[in-house]
Amino acid sequence: MRSISVFRRWQEVERLRAERNAVANKMKGKLEPSVRQAFVEEGKNLKEALVALEEDLVQLTDRLQQEAQSIPNITHPDVPIGGEESSIVRKMVGCQPEFSFAVRDHLQIGKDLDLFDFDAASEVSGSKFYYLKNEAVLLEMGLINWALSEVTKKGFTPLITPEIVRSSVVEKCGFQPRGQNTQVYSIEGSDQCLIGTAEIPVGGIHMDSILPDSALPLKYVAFSHCFRTEAGAAGAATRGLYRVHQFSKVEMFIFCQPEDSNMYHEELIQIEEDLFTSLGLHFKTLDMATGDLGAPAYRKFDVEAWMPGLGRFGEISSASNCTDYQSRRLGIRFRPSLSDASPANSKKGKGSAAPTQFVHTLNATACAVPRMIVCLLENFQQEDGSVVIPEPLRPFMGGLQVLSPKF
Amino acid sequence: MMKMMMISSGGTALQTLRLAPSLCKPPSLQTLTRYRHGLFRGPPLLPSLLRAVSSPALQPSSSGVEDEKVVVVAKPQWKAAIDFKWIRENKDLVAGNIRNRNSSANLDLVLELYEKYLGLQKEVERLRAERNAVANKMKGKLEPSVRQAFVEEGKNLKEALVALEEDLVQLTDRLQQEAQSIPNITHPDVPIGGEESSIVRKMVGCQPEFSFAVRDHLQIGKDLDLFDFDAASEVSGSKFYYLKNEAVLLEMGLINWALSEVTKKGFTPLITPEIVRSSVVEKCGFQPRGQNTQVYSIEGSDQCLIGTAEIPVGGIHMDSILPDSALPLKYVAFSHCFRTEAGAAGAATRGLYRVHQFSKVEMFIFCQPEDSNMYHEELIQIEEDLFTSLGLHFKTLDMATGDLGAPAYRKFDVEAWMPGLGRFGEISSASNCTDYQSRRLGIRFRPSLSDASPANSKKGKGSAAPTQFVHTLNATACAVPRMIVCLLENFQQEDGSVVIPEPLRPFMGGLQVLSPKF
Repeated sequence: MRSISVFRRWQEVERLRAERNAVANKMKGKLEPSVRQAFVEEGKNLKEALVALEEDLVQLTDRLQQEAQSIPNITHPDVPIGGEESSIVRKMVGCQPEFSFAVRDHLQIGKDLDLFDFDAASEVSGSKFYYLKNEAVLLEMGLINWALSEVTKKGFTPLITPEIVRSSVVEKCGFQPRGQNTQVYSIEGSDQCLIGTAEIPVGGIHMDSILPDSALPLKYVAFSHCFRTEAGAAGAATRGLYRVHQFSKVEMFIFCQPEDSNMYHEELIQIEEDLFTSLGLHFKTLDMATGDLGAPAYRKFDVEAWMPGLGRFGEISSASNCTDYQSRRLGIRFRPSLSDASPANSKKGKGSAAPTQFVHTLNATACAVPRMIVCLLENFQQEDGSVVIPEPLRPFMGGLQVLSPKF
Repeated sequence: MMKMMMISSGGTALQTLRLAPSLCKPPSLQTLTRYRHGLFRGPPLLPSLLRAVSSPALQPSSSGVEDEKVVVVAKPQWKAAIDFKWIRENKDLVAGNIRNRNSSANLDLVLELYEKYLGLQKEVERLRAERNAVANKMKGKLEPSVRQAFVEEGKNLKEALVALEEDLVQLTDRLQQEAQSIPNITHPDVPIGGEESSIVRKMVGCQPEFSFAVRDHLQIGKDLDLFDFDAASEVSGSKFYYLKNEAVLLEMGLINWALSEVTKKGFTPLITPEIVRSSVVEKCGFQPRGQNTQVYSIEGSDQCLIGTAEIPVGGIHMDSILPDSALPLKYVAFSHCFRTEAGAAGAATRGLYRVHQFSKVEMFIFCQPEDSNMYHEELIQIEEDLFTSLGLHFKTLDMATGDLGAPAYRKFDVEAWMPGLGRFGEISSASNCTDYQSRRLGIRFRPSLSDASPANSKKGKGSAAPTQFVHTLNATACAVPRMIVCLLENFQQEDGSVVIPEPLRPFMGGLQVLSPKF
């Protein structure tokens, strides 16, 4: 309804402008002084009315923007409708490992192997912070190096990104830096924030640009630290590494033509499933229901891995197709190539450039390090307290095969 | 639950106080009026806010502004275990040191406040004793009028005591605040003077010769598609950057290599938090909230972003007593670092040379006091070995007094030749902070019994030797952006490619050369 009134207001403005021009034209010739004076009066009235209307128009447009920005993306027709329980399992890989001994959770394993320090971090920084020590450092570096390497091999351009960004960029990606219970840390005395995911600086890398058609698709794999306030995250799943304020993540991001985004969504989830399968994890891929999609997501696949210490599945990654939701906000367009234009088009206007369109954007987690560490420690623990390193990671950990207890 | 260690003025018994949360007051600006009882008849109190202790070049000179009536001070949230007695006994040395370092610390004021503190403490103790005496006198049978007189006296004493105790708290805070800005003492071999007085300890390698026009790292990066500063400027602001393609391999390679090399030398690897409480930043000798601060603060919180892993690593043993046998503790820590670079003017800000966010591998040692000079030499040796192995041309400097940060007893900087810049640029810094940080962070150790003399071993409960403060040292193993500048500029080839130094290749998937793509 609001957009209709904006349209009407704009029509009104146009009408008044036309009238005013008409009056100005009428005054061009020779006129009787009284006639001229009447026109001058009319012109003045029109001008005042116009100024007021134009102000209204600006305010209305702002209001329209604000309201409209909160309209979520449309939804893929196959997405199940409902809350969390309506999400559909697309794929199940592996099965629950059986243990002949009492299973330990990652905190216990970490304590026995001297891998973490949560207590000191609590003093130095606050709760939900941690130090990684000894082989856990090798594990984090190994996971990052392995994920970057694997995804780069698949043709993605590696990136290391800023972790401080302008808050407007955060908003344009569909997050809300300053809401109540915001996940976003802000920098004091500045319009800057800490990123919660590399999706933000990577999306921003092509802000306000027109990309040549031939450049697409653009595929990036980005490493960054991520910072989240986790405000409002209540419940049992906050123990240890499961929910922390700072973590390392390798993120995949694609800019593509609209007709290709569904295909690239499938490609991204396939890459994720291959990565997790290669590590020997037991997991399921979910097609998330409408109640669980973030506003930007047209469709979202989550991967949940079995975590023996937690005794249930826990989310380790998320792959979203945001279609043009982010690109309309970030201002990222592409110009379809001339060969796509019909002969009719190629006769139009200046150099027959086809009109620009908005790209589609997709993002997917290749590796969220703390949750991967939880999975590795809990799934591959041995009775003697050691942990076996999955084969693909060993070359990235100096050949280390097992984390062994020191006593 | 906070554990505060305090040494009583007698310097003997140690007390551990557990402060209930309600007693941990948030930082606040307090207006102090002239103290009661006319104790401060001396020079008027100078208004003093926390002074810059991290950057000697930014230390303001004393403003000399005097305000008789109202002094606004930022109440310190924590107390440094400063050895006032030692300062008083060595005041000429301390005064000379303050001068040599261009510090704005006011030693005279500190000593004056300390004397008053001692006097006030005595007075408080005297009144307490009197009050106890009166209480004792009231124990037996007394005439009602006599009892009444004692009650009156007791009440008066109590009021006087309460007032004096308040004064004592305020005085202690003021003393702390002034004393905290006294810089560390200085190693006798450190040259006295400004930047130009620093001495070259070692020179390694020589300037590479190029048969073609040398490019700077920004040009090389552009040709090899390694960075994007323009997009980062839009997304984040100036002095931010994306690393792309092989530059990502370069950063990961440098980090992995540095961690591996230093771990091999017996250091414990760490990955640290990058958000810390601002009090920890202060205890390490930095100033989160001063003008031109290097420190980013988090809105709505007492937390900051770290500018170096030195901070969370120093903090890892805050408020602890370490067993003697645990020392030395050697850590090598990887973190991202965030610096505002406020007030950093001048030409040396181009490209990767000065940025707001960067990766760094940092070495940190906690040790016994008698060993810190030795470990300082060990740390600089490790750095020199690392840089030599990469084939860099560099010099190690013994930094002059005017260039030491407040915490540093002695500081060695390494400056590497950067052909694109046309001069040497700092790539690392190794500081011996002796007990400056540990007195603020509250990190002690208990010397082992075998060190105690037979006489000692007969004393008290279990003959534990009194604790001492550890010494702390920190040194940069690898500051990634400046290393990237060095590698690109020194090992560039005429055709635009860059040769990767041998030690890094195994950490870069075997990559030997960065080649142009066209």
